[in-house]
Amino acid sequence: MPLKSCVRCGLPETYETIQFDEKGVCNICSERTFRDEAIDWKERRRQLDALVATYRGKHPYDCIVPFSGGKDSTFTLNFLVREYGLKPLVVQFNHGFLRPTLLANNERTFKQLGVEVLSFTPNWKVVKRLMRESLIRKGDFCWHCHTGIFAFPMQIALRFETPLIFWGEPSAEYTAYYSYSDQEVEEVDERRFNRWTNLGITAEDMAGMIGGDFPLDPRDLAPYTYPSVRDLKRLGCRSVCLGSFVPWDVKRNTQEIMSELGWKGDEVEGMPWETYPYEKIECYMQGVRDYIKYLKRGYSRVTQMTALDLRNGRITKEDAARLIDEHEGRKPPSLRLFLEYLEMDEQEFNEIVRKTVVAPHVPDFGAEWAPMTWDFDRWHREKATHTDGPALLDSPSKSRD
Amino acid sequence: MGTVGILDIEMGNLRSLCNAIDSLGVDSRVAREPSVLAEVSRVLIPGVGSYRAAMGNLTRLGFVDPLRRFAAAGKPVLGICLGMQVLSTRGEEGGAVPGLALIPGDVVLMEPDSLRLPHVGWNSVSFRSPHPVLEGIRDGKDFYFVHSYEFRCAPEHSYAETSYGRPFSSIVGVGNVLGVQFHPEKSQRNGLQLLENFCRWDGGC
Repeated sequence: MPLKSCVRCGLPETYETIQFDEKGVCNICSERTFRDEAIDWKERRRQLDALVATYRGKHPYDCIVPFSGGKDSTFTLNFLVREYGLKPLVVQFNHGFLRPTLLANNERTFKQLGVEVLSFTPNWKVVKRLMRESLIRKGDFCWHCHTGIFAFPMQIALRFETPLIFWGEPSAEYTAYYSYSDQEVEEVDERRFNRWTNLGITAEDMAGMIGGDFPLDPRDLAPYTYPSVRDLKRLGCRSVCLGSFVPWDVKRNTQEIMSELGWKGDEVEGMPWETYPYEKIECYMQGVRDYIKYLKRGYSRVTQMTALDLRNGRITKEDAARLIDEHEGRKPPSLRLFLEYLEMDEQEFNEIVRKTVVAPHVPDFGAEWAPMTWDFDRWHREKATHTDGPALLDSPSKSRD
Repeated sequence: MGTVGILDIEMGNLRSLCNAIDSLGVDSRVAREPSVLAEVSRVLIPGVGSYRAAMGNLTRLGFVDPLRRFAAAGKPVLGICLGMQVLSTRGEEGGAVPGLALIPGDVVLMEPDSLRLPHVGWNSVSFRSPHPVLEGIRDGKDFYFVHSYEFRCAPEHSYAETSYGRPFSSIVGVGNVLGVQFHPEKSQRNGLQLLENFCRWDGGC
């Protein structure tokens, strides 16, 4: 039985926060319409000008820019430096899976823009244990990344006494936890962190969850801990999305960073490489992430990309359906590495994910393998070669097609 | 901003108010005796319980005249729930009880037609006129109420209205003295915004 889906963009009923109106159009589409028709973007730009003027020159840095090097954070950094000549402190949280193209992009970006950069890498052994716990409890192994990315830059803001923080796209672009129609600037704050970002699990909670079997030093979860609201208030912290002041257009933004910075896209497992080379290039576990989503919810990254294009009128429904049919739902070769990191086999993995499936979707665990990306052999292995490793239900092809 | 004085009249949810102010990054001092008023730039008056008992404690602790002088000096005062009610001229609770008389009006038992008392829960607050302490808060938002009495005052002193059976004043004020019938410290984001605005307010309006 197929899932009910939006008549305009195709996102299914298992999509986080989705609702359909009486015509079958989803709330993400309606919010996009509101964004395009009802927001006074000139006024929003004036608010941005005023915000920048309030903070400029008064602190060790004009702002913090949390940075992954993907299209959104690269666009944000480029925009702030180019349009306002700001002196940012760029803050990177290394989730453990940075890819070569991304690292080359970042070096090029930083050197061309002339900015100061801090990069933080958490303890990999702790990360592995966190991924396991997060996967089991939530069907999402990225807790360390979600929390690290959103909490760590706030800690840096305090340490460097730099209260203004610019994130990239507002969440209303993709989900309905926040809405454009509220006519508010999305505050990327503790409330958002605890209700959504951390999957409902704080660092304190996590310490209790893994401390029983893992040799945890109480300080090990500090990077994932949101600083106190009191301290942030005393600093006069303001943590906002650039996309609340400037309407977000991922294709246009990508063109801009490609032409101005020489930013390059990359192959992502399970994606049509020619059509969508600019999305989610920053993590080599992205394929596993998308695969789990497919098992849980019955759709994945290709559906999300075509949804955006359908919403923008940039693709036909026929072409979208074809791309989804040809590419979506394949098993990523990186699954082998993931299973190796977590010391589990595919059977156990499937059993864990099965428990997190979102009704009414019924998962199919028998997908074909997706092709390997060009840098697959450069990704970290715990064991010497990739011919060893955990038991898989079948073997991925060694070739790239 | 200075330090906020939080009155301890031995009846009120002091700790939750202190925690709320603390989370805003503002310094506070609990005032158990009038001399503390000289060390703070603004005062919060919490209160839960009866008008008669509250005025009794305020009198016994020696706060009545010092508070009146504090307000007369133009320093911001915010009364919360019963703390708002004692700002009135008088309360009707088993006979008339004189209040601090900082905002003219009477506090009387609510008559919400067939609805039960106390009025407990979230209810919307509709603004009647703008005020610096309401900056950044949307009209019609919900705040948390728990009370059986209401503050009746002249229309020009009522800044917001709420309906429970019939309308009553949920925010009252004269000059640098303001009262809110709801509990901002229990009203999530909007309540905290109101408290934050109060902490920045210079008392003018």
